Amino acid sequence: MAAAVVAEGAGDVGDKSVNGFKDRVGLGWRPALAAGILSNLDKIDIVEVIADDFFDAPRHKRRALRTLAAQTPVTLHGVSLGLASSVAVHSKRLDQMARLCADVVPVSWSEHLAFVRGGSVEIGHLAAPPRTAATTDGALANLDRAMTIVGAAPQVENVATLIDPPGSDRDEATWVSDIVSGSRCDLLLDLHNLHANALNFGFNPRDFIARLPAERIAAIHLAGGKWIGEHGTRRLLDDHLHDVPDSVYDLLTEVGSRTRRPLTVILERDGDFPSFDCLLYQLEQARKALERGRERLSNESEEEAAA
Amino acid sequence: MSAPSFEAFLAKLYVDEGVRARFLANPRDEAVKAGLTTEEAEALASIDRVGLELMAKSLERKRQRRLPNAAA
Repeated sequence: MAAAVVAEGAGDVGDKSVNGFKDRVGLGWRPALAAGILSNLDKIDIVEVIADDFFDAPRHKRRALRTLAAQTPVTLHGVSLGLASSVAVHSKRLDQMARLCADVVPVSWSEHLAFVRGGSVEIGHLAAPPRTAATTDGALANLDRAMTIVGAAPQVENVATLIDPPGSDRDEATWVSDIVSGSRCDLLLDLHNLHANALNFGFNPRDFIARLPAERIAAIHLAGGKWIGEHGTRRLLDDHLHDVPDSVYDLLTEVGSRTRRPLTVILERDGDFPSFDCLLYQLEQARKALERGRERLSNESEEEAAA
Repeated sequence: MSAPSFEAFLAKLYVDEGVRARFLANPRDEAVKAGLTTEEAEALASIDRVGLELMAKSLERKRQRRLPNAAA
């Protein structure tokens, strides 16, 4: 089944980009945020919707989602396909995504580079697979099938992990870059996931960004988290329940300075919701951080031209 | 042994407290008993134990939140 997913930037629901680079900054749809989102669509360039919440949704909820997509750009975000696995993704799950994409006509869709089940066991959340040739090849095969069945390539997202994935024989930057480079999928770079992994496993997130194929970065996630565990062995948990830390905005500036490609930036917040004004403030902080990166990029280009 | 079997063993390790406890007490033997190769068992013997415990707890909390009548 091939869905009519509109190519990024080609939607007719209004070009709500924020600058000359045609960047967009938006928010993840959550039922608790619905009223705030709907009454502030002039300040939100794009809305990201969890696709899985609508696979079996009643007709009126699907209709509401179509109405939202007619008013503002919508991107669909999957959380349970388990594409980064040596095991083939179930056709039924891809069919569900294809039907939803055909129904809603989002500007894009995305999934995680994670495995979510093994054998007969459902993990119940996103888990980082062993970073090996087997999971790279498995992910590439799954992404190819996803693209064929859904009718458009998903953007693929790096995941946060509390455990250094056992059985890995390569680092995360290599693994993610190989999958993006080997597929037709662009990268949804989750900067809080990157921030958390960098702190938990001792690498420099800027070096990580420098090793990615910059022109394949199409979207960004921002979120917050909290420290868990005992003193001395603490780890940063990406829980989406806290405000975006400054260091993550700094990484957004870094990404904005490395690619000329339009970026879609989504703030994810799953609970412990602050006032909606606080969320709008964080969107504004994201715009400013991205703008700083864009200015740096423009200045460097001018200097190169003058040299 | 294959990559899918290795992933299946990891999934059990992450969600099943009993499997995890037996494994942590004797990683190599439990991995081999589960059918993994010596090389795979060796890789698991050096598992990130702090991360494993934190991840298991985090997954458990997420499962509890999804159960309507679960305790907070």
